[in-house]
Amino acid sequence: MMNNQNTLVGNYNNMLRGTPTVTLNYLVKQLPTATAFINKNYEVVHVSDKWINDFDFDNRDVIGRNLTELFGSVDKDWGKALKDCLKGIASGESVHQHLGADGALQWFEWQNIPWYDEKENIVGVILQAEDVTERINVELQAEKLETLLAAKSEITDVGSWEFDLERNRLQWCEITKKIHEVVPTYEPNIDTAINFYKEGYGRNTIAMAFDNAIQKGEAYEVSCELITAKGNEITVIATGKPIFKKGKLLGLVGTFRDITPKIKSELKSKRQERHFKSIFNSSYQFTGILDTQGTFLEVNETALRFSGLKEEEVVNKKFWDAYWWPTPDYVKDGLKEIIRAASEGEVMRSEIVVLDKDKNPIPVDFSLKPVYDEQGNIFSLLAEGRMIKEMVAARRKLKESEKKFRALYELSPTSYILSDFETGEILDFNSSFEETTGYTREHLGKLKVQDILLTVSKTQLLRIKKEIETTSTFGPEEQEYIKKDGTQFPVLVSGSLVGNKKGRKLLWSTAQDISESKLTEAQLREEKQLLKTLIDNLPLNVFIKDLESRKILVNKAELDYVGLTESDVIGKNDFDFYDKKSAQISRDEDLEVINSRKPMLRKETISVKKDGTSTSFLSSKIPLVGSDDKVKGLIGISLDISDLKRKEDELHDLINVTSIQNKKLVNFAHIVSHNLRSHTANFSMLLDFLVSETDAEEKNRIIKMLMEASDNLLETLENLNEVVAISTNINLDKKPVCLFEKIQNVEKNLTAYLKNHNAVIINDVAEDLEVKAVPAYAESILMNFITNAIKYRNPMRKPVVRVTAESDGDYTVLSIKDNGLGIDLEEHGSKLFGMYKTFHENPDARGIGLYITKNQIEAMNGKVTVDSEVGKGTTFKIYFNDKN
Amino acid sequence: MTKIKSVCIIDDDPITVFGIKKMLSLLDLAEEIKTYVNGKEAIDDISKRVKNQETIPQVIFLDINMPIMDGWQFLEKFLELEVEEKIRINIVTSSIDPYDKQQWERFKEITHHLLEFKNKPIRKNDILEITKAA
Repeated sequence: MMNNQNTLVGNYNNMLRGTPTVTLNYLVKQLPTATAFINKNYEVVHVSDKWINDFDFDNRDVIGRNLTELFGSVDKDWGKALKDCLKGIASGESVHQHLGADGALQWFEWQNIPWYDEKENIVGVILQAEDVTERINVELQAEKLETLLAAKSEITDVGSWEFDLERNRLQWCEITKKIHEVVPTYEPNIDTAINFYKEGYGRNTIAMAFDNAIQKGEAYEVSCELITAKGNEITVIATGKPIFKKGKLLGLVGTFRDITPKIKSELKSKRQERHFKSIFNSSYQFTGILDTQGTFLEVNETALRFSGLKEEEVVNKKFWDAYWWPTPDYVKDGLKEIIRAASEGEVMRSEIVVLDKDKNPIPVDFSLKPVYDEQGNIFSLLAEGRMIKEMVAARRKLKESEKKFRALYELSPTSYILSDFETGEILDFNSSFEETTGYTREHLGKLKVQDILLTVSKTQLLRIKKEIETTSTFGPEEQEYIKKDGTQFPVLVSGSLVGNKKGRKLLWSTAQDISESKLTEAQLREEKQLLKTLIDNLPLNVFIKDLESRKILVNKAELDYVGLTESDVIGKNDFDFYDKKSAQISRDEDLEVINSRKPMLRKETISVKKDGTSTSFLSSKIPLVGSDDKVKGLIGISLDISDLKRKEDELHDLINVTSIQNKKLVNFAHIVSHNLRSHTANFSMLLDFLVSETDAEEKNRIIKMLMEASDNLLETLENLNEVVAISTNINLDKKPVCLFEKIQNVEKNLTAYLKNHNAVIINDVAEDLEVKAVPAYAESILMNFITNAIKYRNPMRKPVVRVTAESDGDYTVLSIKDNGLGIDLEEHGSKLFGMYKTFHENPDARGIGLYITKNQIEAMNGKVTVDSEVGKGTTFKIYFNDKN
Repeated sequence: MTKIKSVCIIDDDPITVFGIKKMLSLLDLAEEIKTYVNGKEAIDDISKRVKNQETIPQVIFLDINMPIMDGWQFLEKFLELEVEEKIRINIVTSSIDPYDKQQWERFKEITHHLLEFKNKPIRKNDILEITKAA
């Protein structure tokens, strides 16, 4: 048809050249084929009547109109085909639908050809279309019939179906219903039919195919899974074909076939094949299948791997030509011979040697067997080879180890005895036995186990016998053997029952002479005992800890210290005995020693037990290194130095006290000497004057002065006496003193004084506050500070003394604050509490009050501080020690 | 022997002051004798004199233990005064505290004045010796 048309086009071209346009128009008009000539703008230039008729353009003037106008649109494919034509490429035939003016669907076979002018220039496109609607409809009808016929001709399993689009009716034939396993009266529709398909891929596929067929008129044939009304899962092939009449879709017809059994059997044979292949290929044996002439039909992967060959290098080759056979010709001949024998039904098997790809000889257990078909004829041969390298090696090894065993047996320092289990008769022994017992092989046959065993009692024998009967072995256990000369020695015996071929029960016993190890053991025990005695009687705490700081050995001193028995201590760590802090410190030390491998020596530590008692130790921890040079733990040695520590502390305190006292004493001595000396110096001087004085008046004056000096001396002595009384009064009796009351007392005693000076005391001390003090001192101190505060008042203002108290650690602090003159501490601070120091031009100042006050405070283990600003006032703070 | 123009005694003990004064007048060593009962009075007066360019004592008898301002505090202040003339300062004390001796040594080191340390009692012979212009 194609050729035909090309010829036709060629003819046209010839005819077109040199022909007047009118003629051309006329000619084209009459062409029996629907033909249109369009220019480059897709405008119709010439057109045949048939073209106009076919496309129902009867009432329209077609010439000069554009294709888009005529057909509504030019689709993408057509547009491309037209463009190609303008480039000189003719399009192939294609069938297109066209909806006619009457609404009927038409089918056209199209062809587009380039249109050349006389100069071979392309000036447009020649469109040819053949109305094939009729033909297509006939074809479709025929197909439907054919399908239906085919359906009937198939035995039972192809059903048919028909869908009438107009009436929307679906009809199933009996077979189709049978396949769906529905009752014969079942009436399907499209939805229910589609719902039979398995949800998912199956249902989607069929729905899509059906939709395509309705929408685009495309036929389908799909294979899907379907679930029958009875719930069986089957696989079907469903076909569908659109049916047209006069270009209009009437509906679909199709077939329906259950292919489940076929798929099942296919699957089965595939699986079998796969199984066979996998066995064939994964076997450790070399396997080949030969025909009866010795040609390889198949060879497995093991063999290929071994030989390093590809399948095609082996298959179709002769068995004896393979490179792995040793070269001599007789091998080849031998192989030919066995193949002939096998093909006659003989089974061959022998151990042979083949060469691997590196020419190494490999021992192989080789066999060749005939394979029979169902009729009992030999149709191929199965050649198998199993590498027995390991087996051969194992055999050799066995021989070697037997030899080794022999040597061991003879040379071993352990005695081996083979005896009859029932009778005790000794059947064999090694040279070690001869050496240790003095018996020789000559005694074999006469000697019994009972003869060499001495102390084994009847019950022990019975027990051993029972043990052997239940477990086939006994021991190791200690026994005593008697030598030939009658002497005894300890042995460690164990045995194992073996049966010999005749069913006789034999006993293999090994006996190890342990006289020496017995001796060593005893020595060790003794040494251990000695060590234990030593450690236990050391006046030190000794312990050994493992890496986790668990105690694995403790001596008696350590046990006494923790107050527990050994079983309560072993395996425990410090956290079990001491408070958390002590235990952690100890653990940290342990880790340091273990990790650094450096001993901690003579460190002073304090261990606080759970009950709160604390002990000072001088501890050493030494890493315990095993024979493999690894740290196994540590050895700890602690010396209880609590008493020592306590004494040391006491000594310290004593030294401190003494040194303070001493300082005070020296200071006091200076004061005493100074004060006494100044008076005596005056006496001396005045007496000197008196002796040489002549003037009576002057004499009187001097005598008056001497008296004054004498009074001063007396007063000084009294003062000193007071100070000495405080300083020497060691056993002070401190009692709870209510400060509030004491202040009130002072206030009462000073009533007149306060009134005179218009002074006020503000007592801000809590009424119930008590301090530990010597009551007389407390009163004296308060009196002194309060009178001082008023004595050194600021004349410009009314004196106010405020007394407060607060707690500060071990002290109760009493503050006495005034608004007096204040004192320049930078200048006088160092001398403030000194004896005979005065700082104000006050005739009352004697320079003794603060000195005595300070001494009293210190005698009560307190202290005093001062804070002052000139012109503002002074605050004294008295610290009463609440602790001691 | 030339008379000392001005001698001053700084001591809170009236008996000591009396004694020294008496000895000085017996020996007729000084034209003028001034007395102060503590260091503060003395330094206040002497400072004023230095400022007014009046006569200042050429010989000072200085007690250590005094109220308000003791001998050492006085000395500290006195050395701060701009006195070019070399003054004799006789420290007269009954103290035997090594601390006082150390103070004396320390002050001797840092001053151009003449510092003497005398324990009480002072005898006439002593007075004669220590009442000279430095």
